[in-house]
Amino acid sequence: MSTNRWLATGNYFTSYQDEQRLFFTHLDRTILSLFLFMLFVWPLLFSLSNKYMLVLDNILIAMVAIIGLNIVTGFAGLISIGHAAFMGIGAYTLASFSRTLGDSHVIITHAWPLMIVLSGLMGAVFGAIVGLPAMRLKHLYLAIATLSFQMIFSWTINFLEFFNQGQTIAISRVFWFTGKLGRKDHYLFWYYVLLVVVILSGFMVRNLLRTRYGRCLSAVRDNDRAADAMGMHPGLTKVYAFGLAGFFAGIAGALHAYVYRGVGFESFTLHHSITLLAMAIVGGLGTLNGSFWGPTAIIALELQVETLAEHAGQILPSDWNLATALKPFSFGLVIVLFLMFEPRGIANWWRIARSYTKLWPFRY
Amino acid sequence: MKNRKRMTVVFSLTLIVLFAFTVQAQAGETYKLGLSLAITGPTSDAGDPYSKGVEDYFQYVNDMKILGDDKIECTIRDDQYKTDVTKRNFEDFLDQGIVFYLNYSTGSTLALKKDFDEEKMPTIPASFHAGNLVDSSYIFLPIASYSAQAIGLAEYVANNHKGSGTPKVAMFLHPSAFGRGPLEDVQKAVAAGLKIEIVEVVEHGKDLDNTAMLQRLKSKGVQYVIGQTIQSPVATMLKDASRLGLVAKTFGEEGKITFTGCHYTGGNDLVSLAGPAAENYYWTTSYIVTSEPGVGTDAQLALAKKYGRDEKTANSHNYANGVMVAQVAAEAILRAKAKGVKITKESLYDELLAMNGMNAFYPVTTVGPVTYSKTDKAGVDTLQMYAVKDGVFHSVGAPFIPEYTGKIK
Repeated sequence: MSTNRWLATGNYFTSYQDEQRLFFTHLDRTILSLFLFMLFVWPLLFSLSNKYMLVLDNILIAMVAIIGLNIVTGFAGLISIGHAAFMGIGAYTLASFSRTLGDSHVIITHAWPLMIVLSGLMGAVFGAIVGLPAMRLKHLYLAIATLSFQMIFSWTINFLEFFNQGQTIAISRVFWFTGKLGRKDHYLFWYYVLLVVVILSGFMVRNLLRTRYGRCLSAVRDNDRAADAMGMHPGLTKVYAFGLAGFFAGIAGALHAYVYRGVGFESFTLHHSITLLAMAIVGGLGTLNGSFWGPTAIIALELQVETLAEHAGQILPSDWNLATALKPFSFGLVIVLFLMFEPRGIANWWRIARSYTKLWPFRY
Repeated sequence: MKNRKRMTVVFSLTLIVLFAFTVQAQAGETYKLGLSLAITGPTSDAGDPYSKGVEDYFQYVNDMKILGDDKIECTIRDDQYKTDVTKRNFEDFLDQGIVFYLNYSTGSTLALKKDFDEEKMPTIPASFHAGNLVDSSYIFLPIASYSAQAIGLAEYVANNHKGSGTPKVAMFLHPSAFGRGPLEDVQKAVAAGLKIEIVEVVEHGKDLDNTAMLQRLKSKGVQYVIGQTIQSPVATMLKDASRLGLVAKTFGEEGKITFTGCHYTGGNDLVSLAGPAAENYYWTTSYIVTSEPGVGTDAQLALAKKYGRDEKTANSHNYANGVMVAQVAAEAILRAKAKGVKITKESLYDELLAMNGMNAFYPVTTVGPVTYSKTDKAGVDTLQMYAVKDGVFHSVGAPFIPEYTGKIK
């Protein structure tokens, strides 16, 4: 090991533990710590409108969901087109309590951390059940199995009276030490909660990837027969990948329900599953930081296009309806362009940028 | 010389400042409103003309100086029929300081119901779902609810049925709260004595062929179908019924089926989609149609022409729908202004609640007056029956108010 732990240059891994370190240099650790500190501190220095706080909350919710999707699709290589349904499982776990006990029951308003974890566990159970066909199915066939789950979920929610036939089931505002949250604090409060969840999830997955279970995921993705020959159990690995994905999706669903103060079927449709998949692709499949880039890029793009469409609508004759077509068009275009020119997603740009700084002070 | 120059500068600056203040005083106030709806995505065929109706009428109010020097600034946002986006738009509108909100879909109205109440924001949605009004004080339906419309159609069936015995009816519903909403109320009306028999309730999917369903209805002796959905499934059903020779040529023709439907099942879009199969389709709404001459038709077409709208938009009942909700919002502002009270969401809410009796509002775009009170949040209670003859909707009989809506309350 080099004596200077601040620079990557000149550092060589001399042991397996060295290679598995969370942070390669002190600089990495310091920069990340500072960045996280900034994420916690900036709302105290600047105030953002509720609209943009909601957007931020939305990005963070999507990050939690994408971390899950990345485990199953990115790390384990199993296509899932039913991820929004897993989110829905989490949200509807909470909604079931609301329907049974009332939306302002103390369990929902006070024991919300417990409810979020419970929703995650319910998501994990459903994830594992849906993952069972993965023991026998691969590629497109597995994708169809997950699609079937999305369809079954849609049908169940849409037709069962208990789930209000898909219409919104209200969730009350939660209580904190200062009392019941008001509208002003609502989005800021959930920003902090979400931030903590995202950070914890990130570290959990980062650690998971360092364990044998994490390495099993990549091994099974790369060649499940070879993994089998090496003593791994590809079937179980796939099931627990689905279970973990369901856990994160369930948590994201519960958080969504709390932030939006209600659970409605419209937030967990096939369209949302496709959007989540698009976020994972744009961010970079099979990379942890891609789980953060994807939602940020797609949601920011959506907002920018919305603004552009609004301006275009003022200039162009409204009968053309060109302005309103910009949103779906740009969304589709971005996905196609990424698939064509940067299939490794934004995470690859980040990797390239980091590799330049790693060499410093040398040019190459 | 230097002093003179300085004096000139000071004088000029004073003049500029004075002028600026005068202009500001003359400019009047701007009242902010918000509309979030589906201009693209599902139901945009209704949302697009609706948004144009709202936009044109507020533009007209500003251009004609109906509010004097004051102006209405209504921000219109496309939510693509996504409740999450509607919520974001609503938060944005609140940040902007709106005094009145126009919403669109049933789903988002139900989802944001609590927010409207918390914010005490008077809201008019484009959804006429009766459930919008449950546990809500700030939502106002522009016209009779879907339930009232379906009951109105059922009453019309009961009163105009020609054969012997109780007329057999099937309900054709959209698989959502929007579609299912009226079913319970029609069943209540039947229990309260309305003489129809509901023999089947069909929740349509995305079927491209309704032959089996129609044959089943026929075998069950169904004489009337009451639809609460959107135009495209109705068009598919009508085309198939026409092909099978099941469509009644006159209302209640024996051995055939008479097809009827609520507001969003009809209009010119249905005629475009179903073509000749739309003949003899019976439809009810509280809005006027431009195929019927009248003051409302002239006003609607003139407004559309003034702002360069195409023929399809100008003749759309959803354009009339948009114009009407804008008329109600503008009227509430006008009345509050006339009283000399400050235009706030609270004062506009009070104005809406006072819109009844002698203070009822008569927009020319509807077949009856808009009346609101603390116990009545549905605007126009009157309905008009229309039927397609030679490819256009014509009114059938006089406007009416369904009896059983009151009886089942």
